[in-house]
Amino acid sequence: MSTTTRTLVREAPTAAAEGGAAPYLRIVDITKNFGDFTALDSVSIDIHDGEFVCFLGPSGCGKTTLLRAIAGLDIQTYGRIEQAGRDISALPPSERDFGIVFQSYALFPNLTVTRNVGYGLENRKLPRSDIAGRVRELLQLVGLEGQDDKYPAQLSGGQQQRVALARALATSPGLLLLDEPLSALDARVRVRLRHEIRQLQNRLGVTTIMVTHDQEEALTMADRIVVMNHGVIEQVGTPEEIYRSPATAFVADFIGTMNFAPGALVEDGLVRIGKISLACASDGFAAGDRVQVSIRPEDIVARDVRAGQPNAFVATVGHLEFLGSSVRVELAGADLGDAHLTASLSVNLMRELQLEPGHAVTVRVPAERIRLYAAARG
Amino acid sequence: MAEAVAVARIPVRARLSRDDLIMRGAMVVIGLLLLVVIVLPLYAMLSKSFETYRFRFDGIEFQVDRGDGWSETLNAEELADELGLLTPEQLVTSSGGRFQATRLFPDFSFRAPTLYRIRNREAGVAGFMFEGGPVAHGDWVELTSNQFRRVQIRPAKATGLGNYRAYFATPALFYSIYNSLFIAVTTTIIVIGLAFFYAYALTRTCMRWKGLFRAAALIPILAPSLLPAISLVYLFGNQGILKELLFGNTIYGPIGIVIGSAFWTFPHALMILVTALSLADARLYEAAQALRTSRLRTFLTVTLPGAKYGLISATFVVFTLVITDFGVPKVIGGQYNVLATDIYKQVIGQQNFQMGAVVSVVLLIPAVIAFVVDRLVQRRQVALLSARAVPLQPKPNRRIDALMTLYCGAVGVVIVGILGMAFYASLIRFWPYDLSFSLKNYNFDVMDGGGWEAYGNSIRMALYTAIFGTIIVFAGAYLVEKGRGFRLGRAAIQFLAILPMAVPGMVLGLAYIFFFNHPDNPLNFIYGSMAILVLCTITHFYTVSHLTAATALKQMDPEFEAVSASLKTPFYRTFARVTVPVCMPAILDVSIYLFVNAMTTVSAVVFLYSTDTMLASVAVLNMDDAGDIAPAAAMAMMIVYTSAAVRLAHAVLTRGLHRRTQAWRAR
Repeated sequence: MSTTTRTLVREAPTAAAEGGAAPYLRIVDITKNFGDFTALDSVSIDIHDGEFVCFLGPSGCGKTTLLRAIAGLDIQTYGRIEQAGRDISALPPSERDFGIVFQSYALFPNLTVTRNVGYGLENRKLPRSDIAGRVRELLQLVGLEGQDDKYPAQLSGGQQQRVALARALATSPGLLLLDEPLSALDARVRVRLRHEIRQLQNRLGVTTIMVTHDQEEALTMADRIVVMNHGVIEQVGTPEEIYRSPATAFVADFIGTMNFAPGALVEDGLVRIGKISLACASDGFAAGDRVQVSIRPEDIVARDVRAGQPNAFVATVGHLEFLGSSVRVELAGADLGDAHLTASLSVNLMRELQLEPGHAVTVRVPAERIRLYAAARG
Repeated sequence: MAEAVAVARIPVRARLSRDDLIMRGAMVVIGLLLLVVIVLPLYAMLSKSFETYRFRFDGIEFQVDRGDGWSETLNAEELADELGLLTPEQLVTSSGGRFQATRLFPDFSFRAPTLYRIRNREAGVAGFMFEGGPVAHGDWVELTSNQFRRVQIRPAKATGLGNYRAYFATPALFYSIYNSLFIAVTTTIIVIGLAFFYAYALTRTCMRWKGLFRAAALIPILAPSLLPAISLVYLFGNQGILKELLFGNTIYGPIGIVIGSAFWTFPHALMILVTALSLADARLYEAAQALRTSRLRTFLTVTLPGAKYGLISATFVVFTLVITDFGVPKVIGGQYNVLATDIYKQVIGQQNFQMGAVVSVVLLIPAVIAFVVDRLVQRRQVALLSARAVPLQPKPNRRIDALMTLYCGAVGVVIVGILGMAFYASLIRFWPYDLSFSLKNYNFDVMDGGGWEAYGNSIRMALYTAIFGTIIVFAGAYLVEKGRGFRLGRAAIQFLAILPMAVPGMVLGLAYIFFFNHPDNPLNFIYGSMAILVLCTITHFYTVSHLTAATALKQMDPEFEAVSASLKTPFYRTFARVTVPVCMPAILDVSIYLFVNAMTTVSAVVFLYSTDTMLASVAVLNMDDAGDIAPAAAMAMMIVYTSAAVRLAHAVLTRGLHRRTQAWRAR
């Protein structure tokens, strides 16, 4: 490691900072190899102070590896991590500034709630009364008053989760790392805790990174989502951006449900599926390119659609799947030819239209809701 | 960005924290310790087995003056050749072998006025001894005939397969291989058969008194392996009460060895098989029942395959225990030689250390094979364990339950009977003539063998072993399981921790002699001390202790260390406040295992005790050797009482601990 290269890199954030505040955490070109396997391949992200960022992806995508690299638990093979302007790339976890909550919570089973939460404080030579006060404050913060003398095994999963959170926050770290913190909980508790964690984070303003494979969790909680797959970042953006404008077919497929239909670009701004041509943005493809046409089920409009409207077409109703408040309607045939699409229609509308399998229905897809991806991918 | 990419290709070298440095330091210390207590002694033993000693007559020259001036120079080899002394029997010897120089001169008489000169052909090679010391220079030494008779020719050391050749050329020696294998295989078949059905009864039937039967079967663990042999002498020996049952066969020999070995290895097999049979998946049995499978077929197609790995593992454990055991064949083997007693005889009886080393290597081979197979099998069993299964609840079946009660009763009576016989014999005034009760056999101080002091030494040795052994074992297992990075170091310690299991006690003890008794070894001072006994015993029982500790540590959340690092708490604090308390049951198990084994072991320490550090188990052996069988039984029973008391204390302690920690252990 030569000093010259280091100084070169040091200058980088200053240059970037001209646009706004310097990022709190800079991850630059992180690669992690386990033998021949590349778990992370040149990953770079900037995370700003006070942000809540979710690393989202299927299992094995490298999201936990990235979190562990940030924590210093499994140090990256190549690349640089900077926290609050300090290069922490090679530092052991104990010399970094973070609090962490694991999926298993890793609560010390033989210590009471109070001692678990106070564990990191006891080492700081604080007066006993200060520790007790801080622990009380934290337990209040996470809504666990009155459980002080219980052991972790005597608490419910949700309560254990809060203890772990309180323990991680006790030392007022600059960065909070959450490794799938909710995946071990019941669905109901999970929904409630999502909300609570987010509120707590807002209140404390602590920069937070949460790893999750649950897209709903990421969409509801995060300021920004980092979608990962096979060790690379597919897209970084707000939940809205990720959902509305997936950058890749993978993101489109992974987040929410998505129809993919094979098609070809007829001319700039016009794509052909089955027997019809739909207006859309070309997304950089040229006329004649074979593409995948992606449409969200809820973007297929069936209310007040008449033939002749822009992007309107006729399809035959196939199988209906009742989902409570909505119905999934399979569309095929007629204008669609060999292509299949699934629409999500409200139960209300279904009653109005009185759709039955075999009926023909006229539907419309707004041009701005159609996205095109390269056809190579399945 | 381009600059950053250029930098990124420099691999990040993780900076070490203080924790990492301390842990690595500790790892190096434990690694070195294991190197010294197991690898180096084994190496010393191996090289000893290749060390050969041979008289090198060609290196020695004489001149003789029979009153007519000095003769021409005579080479000793030519003289020996003329006398027909250049045969392997004459030339091959051990390090202590000596050849009297006068044997090369048939006309020698110490009264004759003849003068002799002797010299080494090559200076620096001490070919002969005079007046007790080796002579290494190359000058002539002039001697009168009276002085010359005190000249002895020394053997020269060389490296080669000579000892092995000699071993396999001596039927009395290599026949022991066959004997050892015969005993081990026979005992293994008997024990596995008996233990399997016993374990089956304990786990798969609704038999009554299961706790009682389990306790009875575990009794032998408390006793040294010498005890069943002594009992058998009382039961079936020349004055035995059940001698007629042998129909004229003698108990001193293979019959006695097999029965005695079966007694003390039974609980080892039983524990493994009980574990294996407890793992049954009820769903398989329900499926079998739904398909109307007969009980026998269910047993053959579901029960047996399910216990397969347990059976294989138990087979190899028993085989190893028997083939490496020294106590039983020593006491009751009579003229029937096995490998373990051969080592003892070569070393203690004949002082032929090289041959002892050769027999050790021979004994090491089956032990290592059994060990490797067992490790491979155990690895698979782990996979079996992790499968989610519905535990099987045995259903009452009157016929089978009654049958099994009878069977376990019979086995239990035999086990308790053998122990009871030793207990009874120890209290009898003078077997078999005066059967009144007396404690005179416990008056060890009036007998040879070490007296009560030996018992006190054993207690001390066991305590030290338990305390230091537990600390070392647990620290080692912790570093292997919870260390950060330094994979090579952790793998090395893991390997060194598993290695002792493959080394029989006799082999370890002998290896310690070679290593620690070497005059150039700076650790030479611990030879003959309590420390070497403790070290040897810890090493001998290291592997099982390590695996127990490692299993407990593996069950702990792997992120405790990460959490405490994120909270800036040093690892040793978390170790003391969380790891140790949570692992306390396993720590107690390890310490009790070490204590009881230190009390009962005889094989390794029999080579290492000194007059100041005589041990109870060795005293049993020596008193039996001297014909004081009743006191030997009494001392063996003292070991049993002590082990039982300690086990009981352990049970009470564990229960107390469990109650105290119930709150946080509750799930």
